Amino acid sequence: MTNEVPLLQCKKLEFGYGKVSGAAAIAGTSDAVGAAPALAAPLDFTLSAGEVVAVVGANGSGKSTLLKTLAGFVQPLSGAFEIEGVVNMPLRERAKKIALVRMGNMVPSRMTVREFVGLGRTPYSNFLDGRLAEDGRIVDDALATVGMTAFANRAVAELSDGERSRVYLAEALAQQVQILLLDEPDAFLDVPHSHHLFKMLRTLAAERKMGILVSTHSIEYAEKYCNRMMVIDKGCIQVDTAAEARAHGLLRWTEEEIV
Amino acid sequence: MVRRIICFGVLVVLAVLLMAGTLCIGPVDLDSDMFATVLWKLRVPRLVAAVLAGAALSVSGLSLQTLFRNPLAGPFVLGISNGASLGVALALLAGFSFGNFGVLTAASLGALAVTVIIFWIASKFERNSVLLVAGLLIGYFIDALVSLLIAGSDAESLRMYISWGMGSFGRLTPSNIWIFAVAVAVGLLLIVSCLRYLNGARLGDDFARGLGLSVAVQKKCVLLGASILAAAVTAFCGPVAFIGIAVPHLTYLLFHTTNHRVLIPGVMLCGADLALLAGLFPTIPLNATLSIVGVPVILWVLLRSGREGRL
Repeated sequence: MTNEVPLLQCKKLEFGYGKVSGAAAIAGTSDAVGAAPALAAPLDFTLSAGEVVAVVGANGSGKSTLLKTLAGFVQPLSGAFEIEGVVNMPLRERAKKIALVRMGNMVPSRMTVREFVGLGRTPYSNFLDGRLAEDGRIVDDALATVGMTAFANRAVAELSDGERSRVYLAEALAQQVQILLLDEPDAFLDVPHSHHLFKMLRTLAAERKMGILVSTHSIEYAEKYCNRMMVIDKGCIQVDTAAEARAHGLLRWTEEEIV
Repeated sequence: MVRRIICFGVLVVLAVLLMAGTLCIGPVDLDSDMFATVLWKLRVPRLVAAVLAGAALSVSGLSLQTLFRNPLAGPFVLGISNGASLGVALALLAGFSFGNFGVLTAASLGALAVTVIIFWIASKFERNSVLLVAGLLIGYFIDALVSLLIAGSDAESLRMYISWGMGSFGRLTPSNIWIFAVAVAVGLLLIVSCLRYLNGARLGDDFARGLGLSVAVQKKCVLLGASILAAAVTAFCGPVAFIGIAVPHLTYLLFHTTNHRVLIPGVMLCGADLALLAGLFPTIPLNATLSIVGVPVILWVLLRSGREGRL
């Protein structure tokens, strides 16, 4: 890449659930959590504009925790990460730069697709949460990008899983972020919809110069659609181009038997 | 959009009609010599009490339902009103003195104490059901304390407490109107200042944080506002049931939106209308009127949303 400031840069970042909060403390696991080790070795990683990077690894390897750490929901155990060159960006500014799309979101009852996607404009709204005509256009555009314009007035709760995953993506697009984090967006999708989703991610990265980090269990899609692959295996993180990861032995863990 | 304008229009017209009714209907006729006195000493305070109480309880209920993501949350179910009752019972039955504002201070302190407990539980448990059960249990516990106080009190103070417990808009004196209005205004301001949070809160704390909202601060702000509103109403009008829980559901049905920019003025109008309507029958205890209207409404809404699987 050029000498531009990278979208996202991790510097010796260690992540895990270090701080006990709420539910974990009650579950009586506070002792264990208090001394929780990092889920993986320190991560040095740079995400550039225009690329899609897949995060793969077994269940519990720390994919979601990494994404939550980058989204600011979990504090890093050590090290730091910079968003466009800034460490510890204030919450509201961060919400304009980075968004995490999670499929396990609570489904809001009585909320329409348009209202939900409109929430993406919250970081830009005033004290009384007003919206301008411009916000309406951005929401329309986000809905059109994911092909959900026809569903604008339907309740989110009534949609199918595939439709809902696209609505969640549209909400992040309405935030007009440059960095998109997606946590297993293909978890509930059938094969054609998964292909469609990954193609959409590539288009977004290319056309809007976004940097996209997407966790998935599908090595096939990661190899086929992503530029690079981040493999988290037994506490070790390796990053390689999607084309060469297999040849370099990064995917050997996928063939191991569970004993 | 058209629907919203029509709904607001109808609610405003209804409010004006009901206000006119409140001022004109009563044992003293319009052409009587006493009318001016009755109007300013009795009917205007009653009108103000009904409007403020209806609006305040509705906003309190709406914001708590949003905050806890629970359609059954409200000042009553969470025990906040019970807390206020305990404060009043301590003042009226046990003879504790609470300074200049007496009953108001007592009710506010009681409500605030319960809010703190509820909030502590809410921060420990993610699941709403825990909170709901805890709120009900706190309510029972406080009722038990109140019954202990009742057992040891004399007939006169008991009568005062029981008549307070039935709820009434007729208790607000002209000199107290300002205190009530200021308390309600403060509560409303606290809640309105968290509009952006309220709109994102239904989707969970992480999601709200992802929208750039400082969840911890705003949550406390909403809880404080909601308990001030509930406490003020309970102090001046007694533990008024159902408005806080029923009106938000009615308003959803009318406005078909989850945007609090529309919902907050919506519930205020709806709540004021309902309170004015109930206040038209000053001879019937307020809580009886409200429950007779409120219970069928709540049941209908619950059955309806239960059938659609959207509760």
